[in-house]
Amino acid sequence: MDTHAIIDDYINNVAAKLPRRQRNDIGLELRTLLTEQVRSAAQSAGRSPDGEMAVEVLRHFGRPDEVAARYAPAGFQLIESEYVPLVLKLAAICIAIQWAVTLPLVFSARLTFGEWWLRWGFSAFAWCGVLVLWFAAAGWVQRRFPVDPSTGARPGIHWLFWVPFPKDWHPGEADATQRRAALGAAPIGALLTVLFSAPAWILGHLLPAGVNTSWALYDVNFKRWLLPPLIALMAVRLVLFATVTLSERWRAPTEAIRFGLWVGFVALLYWAVFGWHIFAHPLTDALFKAWLLFFLLVNTVQILLWIRRAAVRVPQIIEKR
Amino acid sequence: MVKANEDAVAKLDTELRRGAVVLAVLSQLRTAQYGYSLRQALAQRGMPIEEGTLYPLLRRLEEQGVLASDWRINDGPPRRYYKLNPRGTRLLAELTTNWHALVATMNQLVD
Repeated sequence: MDTHAIIDDYINNVAAKLPRRQRNDIGLELRTLLTEQVRSAAQSAGRSPDGEMAVEVLRHFGRPDEVAARYAPAGFQLIESEYVPLVLKLAAICIAIQWAVTLPLVFSARLTFGEWWLRWGFSAFAWCGVLVLWFAAAGWVQRRFPVDPSTGARPGIHWLFWVPFPKDWHPGEADATQRRAALGAAPIGALLTVLFSAPAWILGHLLPAGVNTSWALYDVNFKRWLLPPLIALMAVRLVLFATVTLSERWRAPTEAIRFGLWVGFVALLYWAVFGWHIFAHPLTDALFKAWLLFFLLVNTVQILLWIRRAAVRVPQIIEKR
Repeated sequence: MVKANEDAVAKLDTELRRGAVVLAVLSQLRTAQYGYSLRQALAQRGMPIEEGTLYPLLRRLEEQGVLASDWRINDGPPRRYYKLNPRGTRLLAELTTNWHALVATMNQLVD
């Protein structure tokens, strides 16, 4: 990556963690200042600016989440700004798990939806409070007993209210992660597509003869109307992931197709969970829907985060010559 | 032991300078400066400030209504220039008076 690409990657990372109204303004200013700083560092070293030097200057400037936190309004903060996205993600996962574990009671008709909501559904939001208290306590412990800057060692009391240290920034990491994800997603997706298309038939061939697999049979209506479009969407996604793995990066059109397919797939699955019987056997149906709901809630959060990240591209200003 | 003492002195020195950063920055913004040039001006006058501290501080002072800023394109890239506004000028005068009084008091105490 060249100097400009590295600085842009860094700036976009910072901007993603800033409030929407400040992103472009601060992003544009930081880009100018950091570009100038890299040039000046190169001049002092008697060489032309390069990627290595840019990374060094940016690392010295701070991790993107640290930099974004410096721009946060002064005053009391219950949770450190750099931890807010993590708290939101963890809260979503905790709520999804509680709902996924308890919703089979509704799908198997042991509770009405209203009873479930009063007993389990609404109370899942208590996780938000638990996490806020945990991270607030961890923040206080970290301020009161800071890390030794010379050794980087965390005091023992940090383990009492453990929270992960934010990850270091590496230029182009997002692209590399996406490539790795595409590489891993293709074979797993292929396996799931095959299994999803006819689970009872596949299990009948895999398991010893005589083992009952009728519990894995699809509901007739689901199999007739909803399964074909779902399988089609999964197959098209597979082709897309394989294409990206070969071409080594996501481009704007493939990103748009991927997003459309993703949203379509998730919407269809939500419809399947709440509007259809998926499996003919009631217990299989209830358990599978619980798992599916967990998968869907996590995917919904991922889609929202993806939209937020995709919207962050600090615009370029043409330099006057 | 010696290192621990040096660390403690360095920490107290940082604390001491931290209180003067805002006045130092305001003092250099009677004329318009952008972040990088301001940092160099302060460093040349013996007041180096980490860029990670200075740039957010400029934004905060602007939000507090003591600085005005605008984007300018001269030779090179577009830059955001900051300058004291009338309220900032009054604040600088007040802080300067307080500073002189503080220095006089401290001189009497430490000498």
